Amino acid sequence: MNTYLALVKREILDGKNGYIRVPLILSGLALAMVFLSSVGIGELNLVRDIDHDQVHNIGDALNLAQQEEPADLPAAVTAGYWVMSALMWVAFPFVIFFSLLGSLYEERRDRSILFWKSMPVDDWQEVAAKLFTTVLVTPVIFFGVAIAAQLTSAVLLSVVVLFQGGPVSALWPLGLMISSWFSMFGHYVIWALWALPVLAWVLFVSAYASRLPFMWAILTPVIIILAELMFFDTHVFAEWLGRQLGGWQEWAFHDLGQGRHIDGPREALNMVFGAAQWEALKFSLTSMRFWSGLVVAGGFVYGAIELRKRGT
Amino acid sequence: MTEYVIEANGLAKSYGDFQALKPTSFKVPLGRILGVIGENGAGKTTMLNAVLGLMSYEGNLSVMGNDPSKERGKLMQDVCFIADVATLPKWMKVSEVLDYVEGVHARFDRPKAMSFLNRTKVPLDRKVRALSKGMTVQLHLAVVMAIDAKLLVLDEPTLGLDIIFRKQFYASLLEEYFDEDRTVIITTHQVEEIEHILSDVMFIKDGEVVLEADMDELTQQFIELMVSPGNEEEAAKLNPISKGTTFGKTTCIYKNIDREELAKLGETRRLGLADIFVATMTGEGQ
Repeated sequence: MNTYLALVKREILDGKNGYIRVPLILSGLALAMVFLSSVGIGELNLVRDIDHDQVHNIGDALNLAQQEEPADLPAAVTAGYWVMSALMWVAFPFVIFFSLLGSLYEERRDRSILFWKSMPVDDWQEVAAKLFTTVLVTPVIFFGVAIAAQLTSAVLLSVVVLFQGGPVSALWPLGLMISSWFSMFGHYVIWALWALPVLAWVLFVSAYASRLPFMWAILTPVIIILAELMFFDTHVFAEWLGRQLGGWQEWAFHDLGQGRHIDGPREALNMVFGAAQWEALKFSLTSMRFWSGLVVAGGFVYGAIELRKRGT
Repeated sequence: MTEYVIEANGLAKSYGDFQALKPTSFKVPLGRILGVIGENGAGKTTMLNAVLGLMSYEGNLSVMGNDPSKERGKLMQDVCFIADVATLPKWMKVSEVLDYVEGVHARFDRPKAMSFLNRTKVPLDRKVRALSKGMTVQLHLAVVMAIDAKLLVLDEPTLGLDIIFRKQFYASLLEEYFDEDRTVIITTHQVEEIEHILSDVMFIKDGEVVLEADMDELTQQFIELMVSPGNEEEAAKLNPISKGTTFGKTTCIYKNIDREELAKLGETRRLGLADIFVATMTGEGQ
């Protein structure tokens, strides 16, 4: 256990720019924008166009919303907080990609692999720690920062609304917020399992490439797609790639929205934060494609371990 | 019964057509300091890499009962090494390196490492990247000497260090680290600096182990004779393995010739390891 903690700690230290600084800086930026715009919201054209004479600031807007759509407001606020923390999630896939790409490549480039190998840690433990940290610890940190940012925006907005004389309690739909944190994380885990063959491919390239790992990781699938198109005039591989990277949701949620009238943010949110995860899980666990993807992932991870055994 | 740390039987390694290490068999007992000496590219690092589980090999190799190519992780509980290049992770702080080793190595004694480091000027809060070459080596040596291993392999450990630190290092290796339950393997170019601490020596040439000997026996085998004037002819009859002149006098090197007999012809002295190495490598010593 001690070994795993030390390995994960080392990985976080190694990647702290991407794992910690990037989400902190981006969410700080988003918070500053939230705060500045909430103070000055009465001046925004957007709100003026809504054509409510009595709305001059965010406090007024909340009062009005509470009168007219009391049932939907908590959901709207919760969704709003997620939108505010959206900026850092844009960086997230890049952080994952480049962390995996460098994880087994950099240690060979700077020869530190010989130091790591002088320690009683098996190659499979090293590879597992790298994959685990990138795919699971990184999102935990990102979610942690996102949650802190959401709570901070709630505090900032509360202060603003307090001064403007609006309903502060409307800014704290805590129950919904907490359940949204869990369901979003659950959704991420299912997404990551689908994407695992692609993530493991990047890890494999990182162990394989003697130089230019980026080219290997990106060009190989591009060439396969183009070759398939040229010789067979099909795009099976491209479809597979798209499906593993998120396209599966189209099938998973196929029945979800159908025959259902979504009325307002509450129902939309309930659907996204409630039913969707179970649908996704049910769909995934019964999907051959899901399982075959995991088998492919296992192959690449095995390859990465074997390559690391030989690497110096 | 002698306990062996390394037992190699027909150990070999080739890259395509090139045989980096020709089939070789040797045993290294516990409680020895073995110097592996050879020119650059002779196969020293190849042999050590096989022992350390860093690469595949042909033949049989057992390091403390383990197959290094399969059980490196387990092996490293009892084995530690410093490769011939700087390998400490440059992005880590000195204290983080110690944290990490403490986390993964049950036999790492942090206070001991600190006591080695306190004798140096290595700052704990500095990144390895920012350390001088000498400090990086000092840090690495402090780490490995604080690990209670049975086998320590040092590949050119003091490269780039000044003479004072090199002397100190070998002194503390002998006094504070080495005991009869450990074996140390050292490769270095600066043979003179280690010959007094070695108990065994191995010469490698072109991927072949050409000599494997006990240090005391070896130095007794080789005798240099400074021939007194007039005795040249007689000296030549005894088949010296090499001949030269110093200060106008003929000097001959002999292998396995009785010292008493040579003493009649002039002044005799023991040969240093470096000279023995040169004599052996030039082919005449065999």
